[in-house]
Amino acid sequence: MASAQAATDGDEAHVVCESIHLGFGGRDVFVDLNCEMVAGHVTVLMGTSGTGKSTLLRLIGGLQRPDAGSIRVAGSELSGLAEVGLAEVRTRLGMLFQNGALLDSMTIFDNVALPLREHTKLARDQIAAEVRDRLDAVGLEDVEHLLPGELSGGMLRRAALARAIIESPEVLLCDEPFSGLDPPNVERIEGLLTRLNRERGLTVIVTSHHMASSLRMGHRIILLKDKAAVSGTPRELAMSEDSEIHDFIGADGAAYLKTLSDAEAAS
Amino acid sequence: MSNPVSDLGRQTLGFVSALGNITRFGSDVVRNLFRPPPRIARTIEAIYDLGFLSLVLIATSGFAVGAVLGLQGYTTLVRFGAEQSLGAVVGLSLIRELGPVLTGLLVTGRAGSSVAAEIGAMVATEQLDGLRMMSVNPIHFVVLPKAVAMTLVMPLLSAIFIVCAIYGGYIVGVELLGLDGGAYIASLEDSVDFREDIVGSVLKAWIFGMIIGLISTHRGYTSAPNAAGVSRATTSTVVIGSVTILFSDYFITALWGV
Amino acid sequence: MQSTRRDFIVGVFVVIGLGAIAYLSLQTGGVSYTGPRGFELVATFDEIGGLTARAPVVISGVKVGQVTDIVLDEDLRARVMLDVRDDLELSIDTSASIRTSGLLGNQFIALEPGGEIDMLVNGDDLDFTESALNLEALIGAFVHGSTEDD
Repeated sequence: MASAQAATDGDEAHVVCESIHLGFGGRDVFVDLNCEMVAGHVTVLMGTSGTGKSTLLRLIGGLQRPDAGSIRVAGSELSGLAEVGLAEVRTRLGMLFQNGALLDSMTIFDNVALPLREHTKLARDQIAAEVRDRLDAVGLEDVEHLLPGELSGGMLRRAALARAIIESPEVLLCDEPFSGLDPPNVERIEGLLTRLNRERGLTVIVTSHHMASSLRMGHRIILLKDKAAVSGTPRELAMSEDSEIHDFIGADGAAYLKTLSDAEAAS
Repeated sequence: MSNPVSDLGRQTLGFVSALGNITRFGSDVVRNLFRPPPRIARTIEAIYDLGFLSLVLIATSGFAVGAVLGLQGYTTLVRFGAEQSLGAVVGLSLIRELGPVLTGLLVTGRAGSSVAAEIGAMVATEQLDGLRMMSVNPIHFVVLPKAVAMTLVMPLLSAIFIVCAIYGGYIVGVELLGLDGGAYIASLEDSVDFREDIVGSVLKAWIFGMIIGLISTHRGYTSAPNAAGVSRATTSTVVIGSVTILFSDYFITALWGV
Repeated sequence: MQSTRRDFIVGVFVVIGLGAIAYLSLQTGGVSYTGPRGFELVATFDEIGGLTARAPVVISGVKVGQVTDIVLDEDLRARVMLDVRDDLELSIDTSASIRTSGLLGNQFIALEPGGEIDMLVNGDDLDFTESALNLEALIGAFVHGSTEDD
């Protein structure tokens, strides 16, 4: 299995969260949460809604700060960094927001080109070539002159993905990339993320509650429960004896294990 | 249950920290003013949205206000046989007070609210977070062009308002009520002073522009990331902006010494 | 391109706005009188009534300058500084009088050129002045005078 192979290649942790505490409005979200995301892996953050999947992603992106604890992204400790330092770290991160977060007053082309125009001195045609390359990579064409409001949900998500990878980041954070999409579009995005991980070696961190796709694409799954994190490979979690985890993964886990054993039997 | 004294204390503390927050925000905006790159294209776009698109509102409102001033001024002045001074009455009250203040209130309602709503919606749809993740400072990219455009646009709109209003007063006083056109203009010319009245008027409009620019962007920028947050940002921009304009008008007038 | 069109519209808007400010400044603000100064004349009056700084100075009803300052001199008379257009040639026997436009209108200074050959220069005093008409004194004099006649 190709994905399992890639999993053993890189062992160094790209993102490390250590004893994170976070309260919000008098309620604890995280208490002593520890987890790490391995370089070159697809890591899926799962959990029922309200467990703080998106919050954890925002912590990694430096958009929110924890009350206590340490977050290291590619070796840089975020907690001591001011906005300028965070901007430095973020050049190595790309983020795909749930609803795309494209600037709705600018065309798709301008949106995707924005990071290059801001940070590089590339000539006009070089920028255009880069933008076209990324839009090709996400399978979009003839949308450059459209505004974000003129795209369908699936296309919008892909355009946002193109913007997230325009500066060839090392880590790609995806907040609920499958939510609100129909099955063909879910499959398409899943395929894109898997390909980016494989072909460009991106470390991909995805939050999702779409069980089947998470089990398929994740090298590791981090399950948020009881204000902390439990992590394991999809197989470990699917075979977990813990009744809560078992209930959460449900029928998709059994189906996943069956496809695994079928594949092994075939080889 | 609630103690009025402690309520008052809490509200005072809340007001002071809100003041501190907007001051910090303002200094952040000013610091970004000197950072490259200059956002010229985005500022021009904002001038178009906030200034040019307010033009019809400002011109028609100015004309209407001037017409009413002409009518009211005439009926009052004619009792003292001083209707020849109508130009002075209309012109001075417009240039010194009504022009900048009414333009300020109209711009707060028309452009300030739209700035607050737009930035608030960008917060709600994570567009500002998106910029941060691209290492683009949202204050520099989104807030600054709008605040600068508002500051530049206000003196222009206020002057346009005043000219339209003087014309409105002229139409009513001269064309309708039969006053001598020359007397209207002459009394206006005689009573208006360049330094005290015109410079004071432009200065006032300019300060109001800064106030509206700062309040509207701050309200939007700090709004809660949801639909209710957007609506609250819009409402509070109009309320806080209008009240601040009216109060600061008093202080500017007192300090400028008119 | 779209953005050049918008730039043009914004340019038009700015021109209109600056034009409005310029109109207010030049047409109604009367910058021309406070900007380039003319020459200064001094007129001394016993009574100036309601005359204030910035009151117009006229010759034959045409505005030629304005009052810049009013002070009290050592004889306790009012010294009025006038700023007058410097392209005028006024003889040294020019007289200044304080007049009122209409019954309740503003007061202004009317200059009446004389017949001398020598001309006034910057800083000169006007020798012939006529004080403001004091309505109350006039009425008082009228009442007083009429009782004396009886």
